[in-house]
This record gives sequence, structure tokens and C-alpha cells, in this order.
Amino acid sequence: MEIYLPIAEMSVHWLIILGMGGAVGFLSGMFGVGGGFLLTPLLIFYGIPSEVAVATTASHITASSMAGALAHWRRRSIDFTMAGVLLGGGLLGTAFGVWLFGILRAAGQSEIVVSVGYVILLGTIGGLMLNESLRTLHATRTGQPLPSATQKHHNWIHGLPLKMRFRQSRLYISVLPPAILGLFIGVLSGLLGVGGGFVLVPVMIYLLRVPTSVVVGTSLVQILCVAAATTVLQAVNNYNVDIMLAAVLIAGGVIGAQFGVSMAARLRGEQLRLLLAILVLMVGVRLLFGLVVTPDDPYSVAIAGQ
Amino acid sequence: MKRATILAIVLPLLVTVAKADDLVSGLSQDQIQITSNYTGSDLVVFGAIEAPDNDASPAKRDVVVVVRGPDATMAVRRKSRIAGIWINNREVTLSGMPAYYFVASSQPLAKIAAAPVLQRYQIGLENVAPQSSSTHKISTTEQFRSAVVRERQRGHLFSEAPAGVEFLSYSLFRVHVPVPADAPRGQYTAEVYLFRDGQVISAQSTPLFVDQIGLERNLFNYAHNQPLFYGLAAVLIAVLMGWISSLLFRQT
Repeated sequence: MEIYLPIAEMSVHWLIILGMGGAVGFLSGMFGVGGGFLLTPLLIFYGIPSEVAVATTASHITASSMAGALAHWRRRSIDFTMAGVLLGGGLLGTAFGVWLFGILRAAGQSEIVVSVGYVILLGTIGGLMLNESLRTLHATRTGQPLPSATQKHHNWIHGLPLKMRFRQSRLYISVLPPAILGLFIGVLSGLLGVGGGFVLVPVMIYLLRVPTSVVVGTSLVQILCVAAATTVLQAVNNYNVDIMLAAVLIAGGVIGAQFGVSMAARLRGEQLRLLLAILVLMVGVRLLFGLVVTPDDPYSVAIAGQ
Repeated sequence: MKRATILAIVLPLLVTVAKADDLVSGLSQDQIQITSNYTGSDLVVFGAIEAPDNDASPAKRDVVVVVRGPDATMAVRRKSRIAGIWINNREVTLSGMPAYYFVASSQPLAKIAAAPVLQRYQIGLENVAPQSSSTHKISTTEQFRSAVVRERQRGHLFSEAPAGVEFLSYSLFRVHVPVPADAPRGQYTAEVYLFRDGQVISAQSTPLFVDQIGLERNLFNYAHNQPLFYGLAAVLIAVLMGWISSLLFRQT
């Protein structure tokens, strides 16, 4: 059955959308990522206008991070102080990102910024993950242990002012790095519709030295709030959140995530990361291809004030 | 509304001039309501040519039906390759372009009348013109105008049916007008032209309304009129669905 998406202003088959949500949910369950960075490009490939894809993905992330955050809250593995500091920067960044998005859209440049942004993001993350997982695989095969990256060394972070105690993380560090990190993630969310977990988690582990046990729960709280704020701000500033699209995507996503989780239990960690890295790079290459290849028709039409 | 003025001036003249052949036409419906399960409907424009008994052969007469949709302001952008990637770098705003245009004729338009005549009445896809353009260069406006025609054709919102006028008898004719599901809401006009020897001898214009109704339309209106509550509702739905899923799958 075809359903009409009121904001994207197009008819789509609901099963395809449900399947897309399911596929992204499956991957996010399997790899423990939000999946926003895959969902937005997927929607764009399907023909959803990029501005609607970016904003609607934010509401999909709201739902998937809600489920995740609740699970971590029950396990008490959330550092709320840390989450609060991240959020302070995050909300500011979101507001800036959504505002910038509106300006770019009016200038007819939002599509290109989204595509270029994703190519850079996916290329960098995919490349880093590929490198890391190949090294791990190589190390396990040759039996050589890798130097641990989480050793308690003092780094430049500890020299910064405005120090604060984060009890649950057992850290006494400056509020500046988490606040700036949150700000950056907020901008990414407003501009590209990603949750930002794939940036947040490694930075928190390797740079801020937050214990792994609280990293995921804490980052999920930040992602939940930033994604919710992005949804509201996009709706208010750019009118581009499609509730119909979001509802079907979320329904598919929550089902797919369950299968992803059980699949993850059967695969080894480094194999999973290698698979994800390849997937991320493939999506990036596909987007890059769209930017470089000569379009069928270089003209596009936008109807003003409909 | 330059065209409307022309029609207003020309129509009374035609009525008096065209006593020999007169035109009567109507629509199957004067309002189309597009609902969520709408899969595109056919509007039927029908009519009759009332000619005196001793009139010439029907081959000399031609009927053209034009249905055009609400006038819109369109931002048309052109991509160029900059540093290897395709970026929008030229924008022309065309105002007063119809968002929907359909023309059907009893034979190919070029055989019915000369180009200047078709141009005057904006008959045919190459003659659909904006009322104004943000550029003064005529050749540039033409490039961007034809880009709109191509884009609308791809979306089935602009189309031509060179044999779309069906004659049921010597004087009775009928045209099926395709109205796709994403036809923009607003006022349309159905114009029927009777040509004889390459000149318009009679014309009629009938208004038509297209409206989008149902849940989808209400959501669209709500998103634009109450964006804050719409956004909060979107978050609420997402949070609830996330919460419900975590309850459902708690064990796994």
C-alpha cells in the first residue's frame, strides 16, 4: 500500500520504508550504533528530499536512543553530571546547526552541504575503523598484544581550567572538553541529522578517559536530548520533519534492532567492526559518486511558499 | 494575470465573431479532492461544436484543451562542476509559472496553428511562460523555463497529448485529463479552444479546484501552522515508541 508523506510530499510504499527502518535498526542493534549516519543517506538514495531526510532521521534517533538510554538507566550506568555538561554544549550546537541549515536551504545549498558533510564524516570514520579493526585482526592472528589506548596517562586535557568532579566517571577534569565535544555533536546533529555516537564514544574513551562502563549510557542521554532538540528546532525553523515517515521508520527500527542484537552475539567484535567499516565506506563512496558524476539534468526546481 | 485579461478582452469578441461555429464545453467535476488513497484520477473535459448544417468538412476544425494549475513562484537552480563536484551556482526565480499544465489537441499543435498564435494563448509546452523572471536576459530565462518544463514533465505535472481530443461524433468531443496525486492544491482553469484555418474562433474557460484533504493534508497544515506543537508531537511519538519497544523487548 502506498502512503503519502505529507512533508516530503511524495508517495512511498510503506513496506519499503519499514524495511529501511528495519535494516538500519538491525545494523544499530548489531553494531551498537544509532544508525543515523546510515539512515539519512539511505533515505536520500530512495528519493526523499535531503532536508526532510536530515530532520526526520533526528526523530528516528530520538526513539532508538530512548530505548537504549532506558536500558542503561536501569543498569545505573549513566554519568548524569557528564551528560549535563555535554548537553550544555550540545543544545547550543544544535541551535546553531539548525539555524545554519535554514540559511543554507534558502540559498539552495543544503543538499550539497549534507552530501559533502556525509562523505567527509563517513570517509573519516570508516577509514579509522577499518584501520583499527584490521590491526586488531592482525594482532590476534600473530598473537602480539596491542598497546592499550586507555592507560591512565596525563594528557593536555588535564592542564585546562574550570575543573569539575564527575563522580560516576571517577574523573576530575575541566568542563571545557566535554562541553566543546557536545557543541560539535550538536552542530553535526542539526546540520546532518546524525546522533553522533560514533564520534562521541571514541572521544570519551580515548581523550576524556571516561570508563567504558558508563560511556555508552552517558552518550545515549546526550544523543537522546540533542536528537529531540533537533527534531523540534527543525520543525519550527524549517518545517521539514515528516511524522508519517518517522513513525514507519521507527516501527521498523525497533523490530530490526532486536534481530541485530541477537546476531551480534554470534559474531566476534573485531569482525563486526570490520563489517561496519566496510559498510560505512561503501555508503560514503556512493554519496561521493553522486557528487562527482554528471547529473542527468543540472537544473532543479523548488517551489517557493507553497 | 496578463493572460486572464487577454481572455477577458478576446472572449466577448470571439463570441460575436464566431457565430458560424459555436463551442459548448463542460467538466466531469469542478472539484477534485485528493485523499490519501488517491491514485491519480481522470478529469473529463467534454464539449460540442455547434455548427450550422451547411458547414464545411470537420477536417478544418481543431479543438485544443488546456488545463493549467495554480501559478507559483519557482526558484530554478543550475549546478556546475566546481572543484570536481556539482554545486548549485546559478539561481533564477520565475514567478507566475503554472505548477500544472496539460494540453490535448485533435492533431499535433504545429499542424493546427502557426507558432505566434500558439504563443499568444500559451498553448503547448514550449509556450508555457512565466509572468516575470529575476533575470532580464531572454535567453537565460528561456533556459531556466525549459528546465522547469523538463522537471515538471518528469513528475507528470506537465504533459502534452497531441491526439488527446477524442471525437465521439461529428461535433461531440471528449478529453481525459490526468491529475496525479501530487497535483498542487489551488485554482485551475480548463480552457477549450476551437481553431479554424489556424485561428482561434471560439474559446471557453472553466474554473476547477484541486484540494488535498484527509489526514496527510491536516498534518501538513499542522506542521506549518503550529510548528512548535508539531515538533513536540514528533518527539513525543518517538519517545513513546522507544519506551514501548524497551518494555516489549526487556527480556532479550
